[in-house]
Amino acid sequence: MVLAIMVFASPASAAMRFQERSLYMLSTEPGVTTSYTVSFQYMSQLSVGSVDLLFCDDPIPYHPCATPPGMSVANAELTEQAGETGFSITQKSTNHLVMSRPLQMVTANTPSSYTFTNIKNPTNNDISFSIRLRSHASQNATGPQIDFGSVKGQTQTGITIQTQVPPMLIFCLAQEVEYNCTGTNDIYYSNMGELSPNSTLTARSQMAVGTNASGGFAITANGGSVSAGTSVIDGSPVPIESRPGTNQFGLNLVANANPVVGENPEGEYANAVASPDYSIPDKYKFVDGDVVAFSPNVSLMKKYTVSYILNSRADLPPGVYSTTINYIASGRF
Amino acid sequence: MKRLTSIIFAALAVVVLGAAYAMPALSAHAVSSSAALSITPKKSYNVTPGRGISDNLTIRNIDSERPLELNLRVVDFTYTDDGGTPKLMLDEDAPQTTWSLKPFLSVPQSVVIQPNQSKTVELNLSVPANQGAGSYYSAIVYSSGASDGGNVGLSASGVTLVFASVAGDVNEDLQLKQFGAYNSETRKYKFINTTPPKNVAYTLKNNGNVTEAPVGAITIKHMFGKEQRIDNVNPNQSLALIGQERTFSACIKLATAQVDFNGNRTEAKTCDNPGLWPGYYSLSLDLFYGQNGNRTQEITGAGGFWYLPWWFIFVFSIAVIVIAYYITKTYRTIQAKLYGGKPKRKSRRR
Repeated sequence: MVLAIMVFASPASAAMRFQERSLYMLSTEPGVTTSYTVSFQYMSQLSVGSVDLLFCDDPIPYHPCATPPGMSVANAELTEQAGETGFSITQKSTNHLVMSRPLQMVTANTPSSYTFTNIKNPTNNDISFSIRLRSHASQNATGPQIDFGSVKGQTQTGITIQTQVPPMLIFCLAQEVEYNCTGTNDIYYSNMGELSPNSTLTARSQMAVGTNASGGFAITANGGSVSAGTSVIDGSPVPIESRPGTNQFGLNLVANANPVVGENPEGEYANAVASPDYSIPDKYKFVDGDVVAFSPNVSLMKKYTVSYILNSRADLPPGVYSTTINYIASGRF
Repeated sequence: MKRLTSIIFAALAVVVLGAAYAMPALSAHAVSSSAALSITPKKSYNVTPGRGISDNLTIRNIDSERPLELNLRVVDFTYTDDGGTPKLMLDEDAPQTTWSLKPFLSVPQSVVIQPNQSKTVELNLSVPANQGAGSYYSAIVYSSGASDGGNVGLSASGVTLVFASVAGDVNEDLQLKQFGAYNSETRKYKFINTTPPKNVAYTLKNNGNVTEAPVGAITIKHMFGKEQRIDNVNPNQSLALIGQERTFSACIKLATAQVDFNGNRTEAKTCDNPGLWPGYYSLSLDLFYGQNGNRTQEITGAGGFWYLPWWFIFVFSIAVIVIAYYITKTYRTIQAKLYGGKPKRKSRRR
């Protein structure tokens, strides 16, 4: 009998998650004063006397709560309520609200919503924050919680805030460039010389890149095969060594011994790297659109030397063989 | 006089013709534009249908001698893999994506910026009143001129990714595909690690019609109870694009440093050595996502990994051999004491 009571009674008293939780911010502009509508369904069919709303940068209920920078609910007013009603704000501080009512049984699975005005949005742009919700039987949000859950919000604007350093991506390209892009030799092509089945033609170019954007950057190499009219020398689809006497075009971003060409990336910051396929010494590859270098997050300036090799077969039709490679530097998402 | 005039015209003709033949050869190898630029890598907007947004994009010519001549065009993009690198759809006849911002986004076709100068170009975003809610995105490509000379011509382009979120009821659906210790260099999950893993990652499949940037926490617990927590599981506010299976990785121990970038202080994050003890680690994941006004959804997951460094495997193996040796030795000693050095034989009864 006792066991049966324990088994069947325990789940009813265990805290449950509020369902259908959502937050609607009338304005998502950072730092503005606006209204929030918090909606959720009470799940436990128990008497509720108060609901606690804690505004934190993190939704996890058992984590320490850090107030989102710039946020304030100290002047919040409860202007509308639906579903479970009868609440009024009884406690408020910078990041904390308690709404209370006379103890009353809730109807389980009833959608409820509460609209608060005079809430000041966090000032950080593009940063999410959370409201941690708890219901209690007591009227001052103390004692055991009944239901709990978090809702997520986010400030966002298209207008750059002048006091903040805007994200930027710096990129330069030429046959030779300065480490910090302040100068280039203004040459944007490479002559490789006369094609021969017995030797490998080489060339090099340089590019420098850096970003303060948290998402980092990626550089792709875009272009067609080396061609003269209808005669084509295709890029190597996989990294392979230089093979004189075959039709081969490829590049990499490291120092090579065979043939001797190129340099390793310059720059002490380790975040930015050459892509694995393009960072094997003496192995060359070129696939249109491939990422040749990237950084997963902020990266100080880094300089890459791109080495090109061109091999040809003896029966290659004569002509001026050329291609244009467009290096595209983009942010990451 | 007539003859003199003819000689002068003939000489002029030679000069003009000579110049005409010489110029293309010169221009083929010379590019008048710089290829050094600074741009905004990403822009995000919240858009109300029927209302427009105007913003400025700042472009800087870093070259100190040559003007920067850029052509601007809007292209669509999608994901390359499970990371955050955009795959640009550069073909002129590339089909428009369902999430394209192209019909709503306008920028000037070209811009010229003098050496060491900046210029702002206007970006206009106008979403019609009947446009459905969701995420829309495209990219602005800034292209410098291409060189015609040599065997390998070079041209440089920069890209700004533009994201717009159209308010309203959206379809949000993230599914957890994988969760565990992660090697960010090989970009692979690893269950048994002989070097201390620096990252924990989770892979989410986005089946909704909006981009998602989940937030939440990961708890890492050693087999003997020591616990540590990753409070920010998406420190770069990375996005899962529509249809993408996106891997989000977070450092077990995050190291932040203030660095100087182009004259401004910037916070740079790197993964530090987490100082893990050998053994099994269990992982738990608690994620939240949801657009403004839509349901906040929660994903929970569990996983684990082994950290077994070679030195530990070696020491453990030696310890097992030593223990096995002493157990055997003790067993034989006991047997010897009990049965006088020979194991007792079972007697058979007839």
